[in-house]
Amino acid sequence: MKALVLDGSREGDALTTVAVLGVRAALEGRGAVVEHAILRKLSVAPCTGCFGCWTRTPGECVFGDDARDVVRSYLDSDVVVYATPVTFGGYSSLLKATLDRIILPVLDPRFTVVGGEVHHRLRYRRYPKTVGLGTLPTPDPEAERLFAALVSRNGLNVQQAAEAVVLAGVTDPASAKMFAERLLDRVGVPR
Amino acid sequence: MNALVLVGSPKGRNSSSFLLGSKLAEGLRNHGAAVREELAHPALRTEDGTRRLLDAVDASDLVVLSFPLYVDSLPSPLTLLLELVAGRRAGAAMAGSPRLAAIVQCGFPEAHQCDTAVGICRLFAGRTGMRWAGALAMGMGGSLERGFRKLPGGGRNILRALDMASETLAGGGDIPGEAATLFATPLMPRWMYTLFGNLGWRVQLRRNRARKPLAHRPHSQ
Repeated sequence: MKALVLDGSREGDALTTVAVLGVRAALEGRGAVVEHAILRKLSVAPCTGCFGCWTRTPGECVFGDDARDVVRSYLDSDVVVYATPVTFGGYSSLLKATLDRIILPVLDPRFTVVGGEVHHRLRYRRYPKTVGLGTLPTPDPEAERLFAALVSRNGLNVQQAAEAVVLAGVTDPASAKMFAERLLDRVGVPR
Repeated sequence: MNALVLVGSPKGRNSSSFLLGSKLAEGLRNHGAAVREELAHPALRTEDGTRRLLDAVDASDLVVLSFPLYVDSLPSPLTLLLELVAGRRAGAAMAGSPRLAAIVQCGFPEAHQCDTAVGICRLFAGRTGMRWAGALAMGMGGSLERGFRKLPGGGRNILRALDMASETLAGGGDIPGEAATLFATPLMPRWMYTLFGNLGWRVQLRRNRARKPLAHRPHSQ
């Protein structure tokens, strides 16, 4: 089993660092080979909305920065972890820049109906399960609900199971691992 | 009243978000507001541009974000702007509490697919001492590419909604529920939008002389 952790933390973000330590330990405990992509260390330009990945070079972004490698890792994975400080209920801009660049090329632009609403068709046979791992300094139920809804909608895009948890004020890796274990159970990552 | 209409599409002036934002800006001006229009993406590429945007937010009584839905949320540069505005407002005693409104459009037929993005904007306003003034959200955003006149019915529901919103926003109020409902009204039946949309992707592929089919899989699994 392969897992990809997309780490959307900024330098000095201790909470997300601890959360990543916890989820890595939980995944490795289940026998996963974990790739940890520290997004602040990669060069990923914002999506320009050109649709080149759909109508010029289908399946591949026309820009050749690090996002291409992340797409490859994403498609090779059985589970992808979105690790991020919860930013007004959403993702950090670092994680968002990467998602904007990887999700479009892995989908076929044509429409299909999923769960009663329209989405894009799948380009590939297999996609990773999506796990949202958010962090906050203190509990914020509204932000946590929104984060869970966002991760769930992201799962719909690739028609895969998606679950999220927000670690509020969790500063020790053992507790983070405990939350991560429950999260991985919920999304169906085998022990 | 000073208003800032901030377009969050990377396509800038060629975008549906610009079309919608400009129409709202026109309405705000007609109702007596002083309106500044900015494109977020080019401004955020430089330090000067970023500072200019942050200053413009500080100087406004009303900020309107007009953007396309990207992966169920805001495009990443707009997310970055929210982070920067929040950082600045947390670091200083802010004199005023500007109002924030949003115009969101997505390429899917269902307007409700914009709900998470609207929620993020609303929460941002709440957490940064701004006052949430509501949102207009629509599906079938792909239909806007050729302007309002080419829309079924001349886009009258959208234009009416923008007019109602600009009037109340300029007067210090929130976007009326009736305007949000009109704006979200589908422009055509869902089957028609998806049929034309799917044909449109093929036409673009041919126009771009792409060497691979739409369903091409460059990565083996």
